[in-house]
Amino acid sequence: MLKVIDIDAFYGQFHVLKKVSIHIKTREVVVILGPNGHGKSTLLKSICGLAERVEGRIEHNGRNINGLPAEKIVNRGIIYIAENRELFPQMTVLENLKLGAFSKNARPHEKKNLERVFTLFPRLKERRGQMAATMSGGEARMLAVARGLMSNADLLCIDEPSLGLQPSLRIEIFNIIKEINRQGKTVLLVEQNIPRIADLADRIYVIEEGRISFEGDSSEALNNEALKEIFLGM
Amino acid sequence: MHFSQDTVLLLYEIVDVIISGLTNGSVYALMAVGLTLIYGVTKAFNFAYGSFFNLGGYCAWILIGMVGLAGGYFSIFLAVVPVLFVVGYLLEKVLVAPLRKYEDWENKVMMMTLGLALFMDNLYVVVFGGRVKSLPPILEGTLEVGQLVFTYLDITIFFLSIGGILLFGWLLNNTRIGMAVKAVAQNPEGARIVGIPKERIFAATFAISTVMVGFGGILLSQKYFISPMSGGAIMVKSWVITAFGGMGSIRGGLYAAFIIGMMEAFVGWGFGMSYGMIALFILLLTTLVVRPQGLMGKS
Amino acid sequence: MSFKRMATVMGVTFGLVAVAPLFVGDIRFIMHILIMCLIWAVVASCWDLIMGFAGIFSFGQVAFFAIGAYSSAIFSVDLGVPAVLAMVLAGLFTALIGVLVGLPCLKLAGPYVALVTFGVHMTLMPLLRGKIGMALGSGGSVGILTIPPIRIFGYSFSSANLVPTFYLALVLAVACTAVILVVIKSHWGTAFLALKDSEDFAMSLGVSAFKYKLMVFALTSFLTGIIGAFYGHYIGMISTRMLELDLFCTLMVMVVVGGIGQFPGTILGAFITVIANELLAPLGTYRAMVMGALVVILVLLLPNGVMGFWLKPAEAEAPAASSA
Repeated sequence: MLKVIDIDAFYGQFHVLKKVSIHIKTREVVVILGPNGHGKSTLLKSICGLAERVEGRIEHNGRNINGLPAEKIVNRGIIYIAENRELFPQMTVLENLKLGAFSKNARPHEKKNLERVFTLFPRLKERRGQMAATMSGGEARMLAVARGLMSNADLLCIDEPSLGLQPSLRIEIFNIIKEINRQGKTVLLVEQNIPRIADLADRIYVIEEGRISFEGDSSEALNNEALKEIFLGM
Repeated sequence: MHFSQDTVLLLYEIVDVIISGLTNGSVYALMAVGLTLIYGVTKAFNFAYGSFFNLGGYCAWILIGMVGLAGGYFSIFLAVVPVLFVVGYLLEKVLVAPLRKYEDWENKVMMMTLGLALFMDNLYVVVFGGRVKSLPPILEGTLEVGQLVFTYLDITIFFLSIGGILLFGWLLNNTRIGMAVKAVAQNPEGARIVGIPKERIFAATFAISTVMVGFGGILLSQKYFISPMSGGAIMVKSWVITAFGGMGSIRGGLYAAFIIGMMEAFVGWGFGMSYGMIALFILLLTTLVVRPQGLMGKS
Repeated sequence: MSFKRMATVMGVTFGLVAVAPLFVGDIRFIMHILIMCLIWAVVASCWDLIMGFAGIFSFGQVAFFAIGAYSSAIFSVDLGVPAVLAMVLAGLFTALIGVLVGLPCLKLAGPYVALVTFGVHMTLMPLLRGKIGMALGSGGSVGILTIPPIRIFGYSFSSANLVPTFYLALVLAVACTAVILVVIKSHWGTAFLALKDSEDFAMSLGVSAFKYKLMVFALTSFLTGIIGAFYGHYIGMISTRMLELDLFCTLMVMVVVGGIGQFPGTILGAFITVIANELLAPLGTYRAMVMGALVVILVLLLPNGVMGFWLKPAEAEAPAASSA
């Protein structure tokens, strides 16, 4: 579904990604691991049209989307869910969700997706009149993921969803991601470490210093001692 | 109770001042909301705001000169509003948007809009001459309630301004584009993520505020004059009001507009018109010292 | 830009200007223009220092210029203080006002500073023209008409002897811009660069943003005040006309032409703008329009002003974003 072919990404003078290539098949869960600041978020942002400068090809269903503005990429069914959540603070949960369905391809499915989101996140349904600014870290994270789902995207690029969450919430969020995948969505996930990764990921990439240093499926990852220690939380 | 003749006259004078303050305040409110919109959404400092105020007045003046008032003022509004929208939209796209890529874009936008104001104001002088113009009032005549006399003009200006603000408020809260504007104002990155076309929203916001301030220009120019070089003073006044109210707060801007409208009317009545500006700044300065974020701005 | 580079540009520019009287020394008109260029070069450079370098949205330069001019004039006319001393006192007085204005401003976010400083400018005019101003000796709407020229050892520097006055102006301009150059390249300068890059980190190292910004306010007001005073003693008369938007916008053009934050671009900017202004004079009423259009075009097309012509984008100092 998505092919990233030899891209270089820059932040001002910084050469963040160096000839990075990954691919994602429909309905896969692909996880990107790696130390902080080595380019994981930049990779996701590059795919979603939110990065500063990206050279190379990014093919979505055969068409090069590198260079397209973010709103067009959202329209094509690719959504970014930020580590910082980037919610609208003075709007209610419901308003945030409705804005999630802003793009043209999302609007006709707004009602359906709202129901889906409320089923997946019952807590959000309870608090739908609450201001986003008053939400706790975990709830805000849920809202960010839920808002991403409202875009009716087929590919969700989720950036460190478990960051800063307490362990019980982390497990909950990974379960929700699993469920979302089960419902047919493709997921590209960035994380620092994931317990029980075999459960979640189909394939894993590791980015170090802006380059892919490992590529394989989860069993290969589990057999790799170095990886196990650093990234798989074991 | 028995008031002396002098006291009664004084009271009537005061009522006059209050009405003037309210009328002006309502137009200022319109202008303040427009400016809060631009600043709140695009964070840009538009120096040419006063020149846009006059743009509205001059456009109306040209139209009335060409076709007269046969269709009533309503037709004038109908014609001028789209012009203002288009001008605002194009200006943003062509002149402001290209500057956003720079790190010091706020400085550059300030400088550019200052140049734009200089250009527009002197363009007015060249095209319309240096003398002031006035617009015919939308409604002539007066309304007498007991001993009090109101002009229909003041009443109309007041209600049209309030109407404009209410319409704007409705659009902001009940339309998709309104939600998008609020979203961009609250979190531009979040807006991008969600697929809101930020650039187009910026341009639309600029356009809407141009319409609002231009409309205010048409209204107030019926009561006072259109003066080609008054752009600077109008801009400063709008900014003072917006800053006083708190740069990002629409409600703050509304309160500020009426407070300042009233204050200006009373200072003018008591001390003379030239002291209005000084009083304005004293008010602003003292407020900012006590409350740096303005009346209702976020700290 | 390195110190060497900046100093070279300044040296060449001032050097060329210095030899001008050899060729045009007897053309009064040109000499006068050159003196004005030197005066504006200092004011514009101060504005660039505070806005482009320190990132403070101050619009008070012209106001400080006027305060310097008026205070020096009042000191010498009403109090009989010799011109040179009056100039220095005026500079100090303006610096004081600068600090008083700066104190509340620096706690405010970007556009508020612009508003407040512009407000100082806008209120200065009615103040000087009104009763309060007249009580202080401002001469109301007429202004002050008989300002004594600068006298050094009995020699009078006035429009009667333009060439010596020109050299005096040159010395003053060189001194002031040299001070600015030194500030930019000194530890103040490094402090500002650090603040630009990361205010929190710099502050954790003990760099006090507030202190440095206030000092910049004081310095630029001081220099502008002195030059304003010089202007008064040179021309011999001042009025509130100097506070009109025309001058304000012309100064802004100089800064834009020179490149915001690209010192010493503003020196070149001042010369280019004054000359352009004179060349455009025959356009009469169209002149201001053209100036306005030029500003717009320049900001859009030449973001680094004239310095952009021989600086690669990477070399140019990243101008300070507003410290909002």
